[in-house]
Amino acid sequence: MKKYLAATALALCFATAAQAEGQLNLYVWAESISPALIDKFSKENNVKVSVDGYTSNEDLLTKLQAGSSGYDIATPSQHFLRVMIDEGLIENYGANELKAYENIDARWRNQWWDENQEYSIPIAYGTAGFVVNTAQYKGPTDSFKYFFEPEGELSGKIAMLSYPDEVIGAAQLYLDVPFCTEDPAQMKKVLDLLMAQKPSVAVYSSDNIASRLASGEVSAHFWWDGEELKARTNGSPFALAMTKEGLVGWIDSMVIPKGAPNRDNAIKFIEFMSEPENATEQMNFYAHSSPMKLVQEKVVYTKEKAPELYPEVPIVFSRTCSPAAQDLVTRVWTQLLQ
Amino acid sequence: MTDSALHATAEPERTPRIRFWHGLSFWGLLPSWVLMGLALILPIAIIAAVSVATRGAHGGFTWDFNLAGYRHILFNEGWTGELEFTPQYLLIILRTFVLAGATTLICLLFAVPVAYFICRQPPGRKAALVYLVTLPFWVSMILRVYAWMIILGKEGTLPRFLEYFGAPAGLSFMFNDGATLTAMVYTYMPLMVLPVFASLEKLDGTLIEASHDLYGDRWVTLRRVILPLTAPGIIAGAILVFVPSLGAVLEPTLMGGGKQMMMGSLVQLQFGGGRNWPFGAAIAMTLMALVMIFLIFTGLRTARRGTAL
Repeated sequence: MKKYLAATALALCFATAAQAEGQLNLYVWAESISPALIDKFSKENNVKVSVDGYTSNEDLLTKLQAGSSGYDIATPSQHFLRVMIDEGLIENYGANELKAYENIDARWRNQWWDENQEYSIPIAYGTAGFVVNTAQYKGPTDSFKYFFEPEGELSGKIAMLSYPDEVIGAAQLYLDVPFCTEDPAQMKKVLDLLMAQKPSVAVYSSDNIASRLASGEVSAHFWWDGEELKARTNGSPFALAMTKEGLVGWIDSMVIPKGAPNRDNAIKFIEFMSEPENATEQMNFYAHSSPMKLVQEKVVYTKEKAPELYPEVPIVFSRTCSPAAQDLVTRVWTQLLQ
Repeated sequence: MTDSALHATAEPERTPRIRFWHGLSFWGLLPSWVLMGLALILPIAIIAAVSVATRGAHGGFTWDFNLAGYRHILFNEGWTGELEFTPQYLLIILRTFVLAGATTLICLLFAVPVAYFICRQPPGRKAALVYLVTLPFWVSMILRVYAWMIILGKEGTLPRFLEYFGAPAGLSFMFNDGATLTAMVYTYMPLMVLPVFASLEKLDGTLIEASHDLYGDRWVTLRRVILPLTAPGIIAGAILVFVPSLGAVLEPTLMGGGKQMMMGSLVQLQFGGGRNWPFGAAIAMTLMALVMIFLIFTGLRTARRGTAL
């Protein structure tokens, strides 16, 4: 956090030093944008790009709600994107009139999070589920049953995330409870499941996942597909469980916060990232799926090399919950860790 | 009577000077007032205001007076829908206080002998030892906590060492209250050692000799002479350790495995995923009020002891 603050302060100093038109401030998921592409964009357009990272949608939302963030581009997930539109935190930049819009894979256009595709252009999508260390655990992984109701070798070797967002979604998939339900009785079932799982959980943490799983400190960790893929490509014995109940889906989109100081550069950057060539390079860097049209022969993570990016089980996207539903989620989480 | 008469005659010629000095002290002290106002009073006032505001649908708040944030601490809708007493937040508050209290006590147990040892050393070595005590502050706190993860974790330094002496392989000391406490004691130890050292250093050695001359044995000397005279340092150290311990987030999450919430993480959850800022602010205000009560209590006790002496 301090690091980011220092980086922001530094960036702001530079911002005042450089000419205003030559600047672009990104606030995106930590280490999510290819540095090579940022260099390329910076050189081609003579624009100074500064990048700050966040590690949760909540961080981003809180910062935008606080106002005048000074950022030109952010990449919220779908359920937060919807909130930002409803609360008037981001600009309608006429995304559907850009060239980038034509490059969106047809099945990702005009979805419920941005029906007319005016506020956002997607950049990456993926899933969340549980990942096992295959050197430690050889048992079945085709259901969330083994994760939420572990027996034998997984018991005591399970790690959850420190935030309720995705893990509660996964528990709901397993119990067939609809996302964002406002029915306390349904959420009580989720709480009971998580309470019964708790004695088998070693840690609730969203930091240091790769090393915790690789060292064998835990054998199963709730995680994201692309992170698992990157670690596996680097030689870790990991596998994403293809759970028959489905996987929790997310899609991140590029948006422009209200009052962004460099709106024109932001649109230029969105167009740049959406060109098939660059979108392909971005996917090869990030290791999450791309919702854009790609240059197929240059894609590194093909279906053969990266089956986790092409799941055959259903993907269910997180929804934007009403305050009442959100309160139930928070209540489950607080009671779980009380 | 004559005094006031003197003053009355002296007043006319002294006033400009007094006014000058008064003005100077006002302008000279202005930076500290501004700093106090902007860095201390204003933020607390904002938190207090938010704690009685109405929550927004997706985080944020509106300026409508509402005590729901405080009500939430004690009463919530149960799973069946009616309002009921919920002890969960009180449990979290209690746990936080127990952890902070244990940290303070353990720090105290280690710090007093260490400080005593340091202040009995020759001056050169004393300076070096004090320097060593402050050395960990040079490294970021998060790095120091990670270092403990490497020491206690699986395949870590301590399990390896024990394995060498025949302990079973694959031991891990992480993710429990002991690990949390270890990291907290380690983090806050210098804050205890330094004030205790400062007051031990001022201790007059002849008083200890006098105690021995009066047939006080070592225990009586410690209890009746050394401890009362170093009490201010010990209390200052205890406050310096206890208060930040209450807000600790890093150690319980990283070392304890985040299996049980502390007040710090509860506040974080309400401002983040819970999207209930007024409730988060109300918890923060409650924490602050409890700390104030603790400080006033210790302050009164010291004052009473002061008059008793």
